[in-house]
Amino acid sequence: MKTLLRNGRILDPSLEMDEIGSVLIENDQVIEIGNIEDLSDVDEVYDCTGYWITPGLVDMHVHLREPGDEHKETIISGTQAAAAGGYTTICCMPNTNPPLDNPAIVDFILDRAASPEAGGVFVAPVGALTKGLKGEELSNLAAMKRAGIVAASDEGFPIQNSQIMNRAMVFCNQIGLPILAHCDDSNLSKGGSMNEGAVSAMLGLKGIPRTSEEIATMRNCLLSLHTGCPVHIMRVSTWGAVEIIRLIKSLGAPVTCEICPMHFVFTEDDIGEFDTKFKMQPPLRTKVDVELLLQGLQDGTIDCIASDHSPHASHEVDVPFDEAPFGASTIEATLGATLTYLTHSGILTPLDTVRKLSTMPAEILNLDGGTLRPEGLPVAQVTVIDPDVEWTFDRNKSFSKSKNTPFHRMKMKGKAVLTFSGSEIYRDALFQAERYAIYI
Amino acid sequence: MTRNLISIRTMPKDEIVGLLDLATEFKAKIIAGEDVPSMKKTVIGLLFFENSTRTRVSFEQAAFYLGMRSSNFATSASSMNKGETLKDTILTLRHERINGLVMRHKASGAPMLAAKHFGGPVLNAGDGQHEHPTQALADAMTILERKPSLEGLNISIVGDVVHSRVARSNAWLLDKMGANVKLVGPRTLLPPHPSMLPGEFCDELEEGISGADVIICLRLQRERMAEGMISSIGEYSSLYQINAETLRFTNPGCLVMHPGPINRGVEIDDVTADGDMAVINQQVENGVFVRMAGFYWCFGGDQK
Repeated sequence: MKTLLRNGRILDPSLEMDEIGSVLIENDQVIEIGNIEDLSDVDEVYDCTGYWITPGLVDMHVHLREPGDEHKETIISGTQAAAAGGYTTICCMPNTNPPLDNPAIVDFILDRAASPEAGGVFVAPVGALTKGLKGEELSNLAAMKRAGIVAASDEGFPIQNSQIMNRAMVFCNQIGLPILAHCDDSNLSKGGSMNEGAVSAMLGLKGIPRTSEEIATMRNCLLSLHTGCPVHIMRVSTWGAVEIIRLIKSLGAPVTCEICPMHFVFTEDDIGEFDTKFKMQPPLRTKVDVELLLQGLQDGTIDCIASDHSPHASHEVDVPFDEAPFGASTIEATLGATLTYLTHSGILTPLDTVRKLSTMPAEILNLDGGTLRPEGLPVAQVTVIDPDVEWTFDRNKSFSKSKNTPFHRMKMKGKAVLTFSGSEIYRDALFQAERYAIYI
Repeated sequence: MTRNLISIRTMPKDEIVGLLDLATEFKAKIIAGEDVPSMKKTVIGLLFFENSTRTRVSFEQAAFYLGMRSSNFATSASSMNKGETLKDTILTLRHERINGLVMRHKASGAPMLAAKHFGGPVLNAGDGQHEHPTQALADAMTILERKPSLEGLNISIVGDVVHSRVARSNAWLLDKMGANVKLVGPRTLLPPHPSMLPGEFCDELEEGISGADVIICLRLQRERMAEGMISSIGEYSSLYQINAETLRFTNPGCLVMHPGPINRGVEIDDVTADGDMAVINQQVENGVFVRMAGFYWCFGGDQK
C-alpha cells in the first residue's frame, strides 16, 4: 500500500524544511519526501495543494480523566478528540482516580489507548512524582519508567516542600526522567479562583496572585539549575514567569516551558459576569501579560504550545464561580487558536508554529515524533493542515465528552484536515472529496 | 415584566432613584397607616445559604407588609445537604411555583446563576464578597432623610473593604449618585488592584475621614488576625476606630452608619454607636422599606 500526500507545503522543523513537495508513505512509513512525480504504483493520493504537510502534532499536556473520571472524558473519546485536533502523540496527566502512580495504571492506559476504538494516537503517560500526588514520598519512578512513562509530575498538586522537589529532581535526573512542573505556591493561591487584579476586586472573587506562580517558577528553575535535572515549566501565564525562565535559561539550566492557548487568547476581562468557562489554573491574566507572553513565544523563551485539555462535565461547571473546577476542553481548538492568534498575526512563522506544536514537545520529552524522518519512528506521523480555511468552533461537533470550552463559537482560521499515524486516523469534513483518489 | 435586583454595579442611576422614591413612598404610607399595594398571591422563597437573621427578617417583614407569603428554606433542612446542586434547588423551587427568590450565598455571583435557572425575580441578599444591593439602598435612603442630596457629599467607608459586599454596593451606588466616595482601611484590607472600583483609596484614617459628611463603618471579623491581615484587634482599633476623638476630623453633622452586626469597641466605640449622629437603627428600619420597594419593582408593580 502506497499513499501519496501530493503537492503540499512541507514544514518539518526537524529538517529545517519549508518547501513545496510530496510525502510518500509505504507500509505505514514515510519512504520519500520531496518532488515525487512518478504516480505509477501509488494506491491512493491526497491532493494537498494549498495545505501544509507537517509532522504529527504532539501535545505534552492532556487530561484523559481515565481511570476514575470517565464522565468527563475517556481514553477513547480523548484520543479521538486529539486526532481531530491534528495530534498524533499526546501525554496524559497523572491526576486520575486513583492517581497514575504505579506501573499497573501505566499498563492499563497504554492498553486502552491501543484499543481499536481509540483515536489511533500514541499516548505517552506522565507518572505522578509522589505517591497519591500528596507531595510526600516519591512514587516508584524507575518501575513506572520501565512501564512507559515519559515524564513525572504532580501536575495540579504541586509539591510545596522544596526539599522533596530537590530530591525528586536528583533522582529523576539519575534515571533520565524529565519533570513537568506546574508552578504554584499554594499558600498564596489558596481559595483563589481568578487572577488577583482589578477584575477580581470588582467581582469580589478571591484572587490568585502572580507571585504564587512566579515564586514557584523561580524555585523550580533554581532547583533545576543546581541539580541539572531537566524541568519543563507547565502553562506559563505571567510576564514575570517568562522573565524568570529567560534568566534561568541564560544561566544554562535545562529548563523548558509551554504556554496554553487560553493564556494568549483570553484575559481576566473575558470572565465577564462569572463565566466559569474561563476559570483556569493558572488564571487568565491581563493584556500586558499576553503581550509579553507573545514576545516570549517569538524569541523562543517559550518553547512549545500545549493544550492543557482539562475536560469537565456540564453539571460540574454550572455552579457558582468559586465552586467550579479549573480548566476546559481545548484539544480540538489549540491548533486553530494558534494559527489564528499567532501565525496569521505574524507572531510565529509557519515553521516555528509547527516547531512549537510538534518538534519541540517531542524533543523535550524524547518522544518518537515531531519529524517526518522515518528513522526511529514506529510509524509515519503526519498532519495535513489547511492554514487558510475559516471555520467556527462548535462544541457540539467536538469528539471530547466535555462541552465546556471557552472556544465555543470562536471564529478561527486554519484547521487540521487529515491526521495520519501509519494510516489515516482522521479526515475532516472540510477535506473535499475530490482531493482524494484511490487506484486499487 | 419582571426584573432581578442582583447588582448595583450594573444598575442605571434612574433605576436606583426610582427604587429610593418607591421606598420613601412605602415608608410614609406604612407610618401613616395607609394601604400599600397588595401582592397577596405572590410567594417568595427565602434561600439563605449563609446565616443571617437580620436581613432575612427584614425581607420577611417587607413581604408581610405587601401581603406576600414568604417561605423559608433553611439550608440545614434542605436537600443541599444531600448533595443537590444549586441549579437543581433553584429548578425545584421554580416548579413548586415559587414566584420570586431572595438569596444569600457565600459565593460571589451565585444569584446570577440562580437567575439563569429560575426565570423569575431574584433579589440578592448578599453574595460572597460581591454585592449587597438592598443594604446599599437602605443606607442611601437613610442618608437622604438627613441630607438634601447625595451629590457632592463626602462619604467615607472605613474598615475591611476587601472582604465587604456592603462596601462594594455602597461605593457603586453612592458614586453613581454623585457622592465623593473614599474607601479607608489598612492596605491588607483594601483591594490591591482598585482600578475597576469607584472611589478613592486611603490607608490613613485622619486623611480618609477628614471633611466627611457620612462615615460608614464596616464590621471587622476576628479571622483576619489568623490570616495575617491585621496584627491585633487592639492595634486595629487604635488606628481605625470611629470614636469621639477621630470624629473631630469630619464635617459637623457627620452621620455615623454601620451595616451591622456591630463589634462595639472594635470598629466603633460604644458612645459613638449610641450617639446622636449614629443612624444605625434607622438603617435597619429603612431596610424593610427598600426591600418592599425591591419586591414591588422586581415584580413590575411600578409599571402597572
